Amino acid sequence: MRTRRSIDQWYRDPVSCLQSTVAALLLADGQDPLEVLGLAWEFRYLPGDVRPEEFYWPCRVPGDPVASLLPYHPARSRWRTTAVADPLAELREALAEGRLPVVAVDNYHLPFRPALNDVHSAHLIVVYDIDQDGGTVLVSDAMPPAYDGELPVADLLRAWTSANPREQEAFFSGAEIQGRWLDVSLGGPYPALGPERLAEALRADAAGFDDSAACHSGLAGLKRFAGALVEAAEAGNARLVEEAYTFGWGMQAQAALHGELLRRCGNAWRVPSLAEAGRRVERTAHLWTPVRVTAAHGRGAPRDCARDLRHHTERLEAGYRAALIAIDDAVAEL
Amino acid sequence: MVRSESRSLVRPAPAWPHRTAEGHHLLDLAGHRNNVGATAPDHLGAGAFNIWGNSFPAGELPSGRPVLVDGVPFDLPVCGAAAPDNVRADGQFIEVAPARYDWLYVLAAAERRVEDEIAFHFTDGSVDFEPLRLSDFWAAPAVFGESAAVVTEVMHYPLHVQADVPAMLWCQRVPVTRRAVLRAARLPRNPAVHVFAATLREAGLDMAGVADLESAEG
Repeated sequence: MRTRRSIDQWYRDPVSCLQSTVAALLLADGQDPLEVLGLAWEFRYLPGDVRPEEFYWPCRVPGDPVASLLPYHPARSRWRTTAVADPLAELREALAEGRLPVVAVDNYHLPFRPALNDVHSAHLIVVYDIDQDGGTVLVSDAMPPAYDGELPVADLLRAWTSANPREQEAFFSGAEIQGRWLDVSLGGPYPALGPERLAEALRADAAGFDDSAACHSGLAGLKRFAGALVEAAEAGNARLVEEAYTFGWGMQAQAALHGELLRRCGNAWRVPSLAEAGRRVERTAHLWTPVRVTAAHGRGAPRDCARDLRHHTERLEAGYRAALIAIDDAVAEL
Repeated sequence: MVRSESRSLVRPAPAWPHRTAEGHHLLDLAGHRNNVGATAPDHLGAGAFNIWGNSFPAGELPSGRPVLVDGVPFDLPVCGAAAPDNVRADGQFIEVAPARYDWLYVLAAAERRVEDEIAFHFTDGSVDFEPLRLSDFWAAPAVFGESAAVVTEVMHYPLHVQADVPAMLWCQRVPVTRRAVLRAARLPRNPAVHVFAATLREAGLDMAGVADLESAEG
């Protein structure tokens, strides 16, 4: 028996399926996705941790991407693996308890994805209803072309258990899907976002960026990442260069959402410096583009793109510093 | 996301001279084009706008003819012949007819959002960097306030034509703030930037510097 007719979707062009699926859960819970997804801003690069998946996120809480994505909210998540005997049982149980499962899939097997029968790619969708008798599930995918509707169980199972073999464009392929799904507890309702709560988050973010002892996070981590990327290119290490495209998506998406939120709050609260700080943060998101795209196009001849990667990562670091100075100015006015 | 619908600000126009009577200079990019950004359905595999081999549907672009967008004339190259149809930014140095200009207009798009710089070189030896901002071409809104010159109905993939994913061709402008005679524009080294056509607009004739403009034009 169906329990839901449909769920709302939310999308911004810089986000990945990690943000868009969590946004769908937030909407279903009555939360404003931008307010929640855009509250935190950080840099974190974990060498050796990057997986070729659209939803890769460098976790500050090991194994918990949603808690890592939302450090100022009591949200939690854990990866689970479906049982072979009754693969839909856990999803059914989660739905019965009011939780929306976020399911890992290989786009190659999904009829509504452009990659169908073309490119293997690890992706996330929300399953929000199961019609066991009809042999279908209802799924939501906000990534263009957005889809909300039925999916035959047989297609879901193919996508959900795919080996996701490595493609020539290996940014999101080569990591087995293995029947994984993300069991998310949002822990809401959340307190309203006002100037005091935002300022508290901005101060915590700033402390994270300023932590000079951090190896893989903050401005020190960004500097190390930039150096490692250029060194990898100079050494002809195509695998590490290629990885920058995958890794950078999460950082780019978070910066874009954080910047948009600051701009929105700055305008709503009539704090021009906050709106301007938001724009500075958005610019850092845009400065990720040439880093990611240069790495992606240059992976075939990494040494040839080393100089450009140095140039683009230096601009990226400068962009982060400028944004943090602007945020510091804005916090003083909140 | 942007809804997929056939939409275009492009208007057909007669063949443009290199410099129009209204003071627009159409840049000749023929020697700089280095990327296939639009494809015909029978050459989908030639598309290389982004890392995934997506491309504009050539049939939905005003290919190989003069057009007017936002009152600005452009010369679009022939698209869909599996030959380079746009300039992927790689530091190209594009010489222009020396004159005083107010704006550089481009028909362009980006592989994800871009904020970069164009370097303007002037005859007096000065150089200015001005912002080049382009929104994503892949089903994205105009986050930098561009005009959507063309919103296609479909997106080309290497092996198929995809409905409901529009490709966006933006009409963007870059200010030439220095009141001096421009001689060249240098694109950034940024493979996410794709320029299909570009036109410079002369400084208003009612503004200071008319004498210099006339002098520059000989």
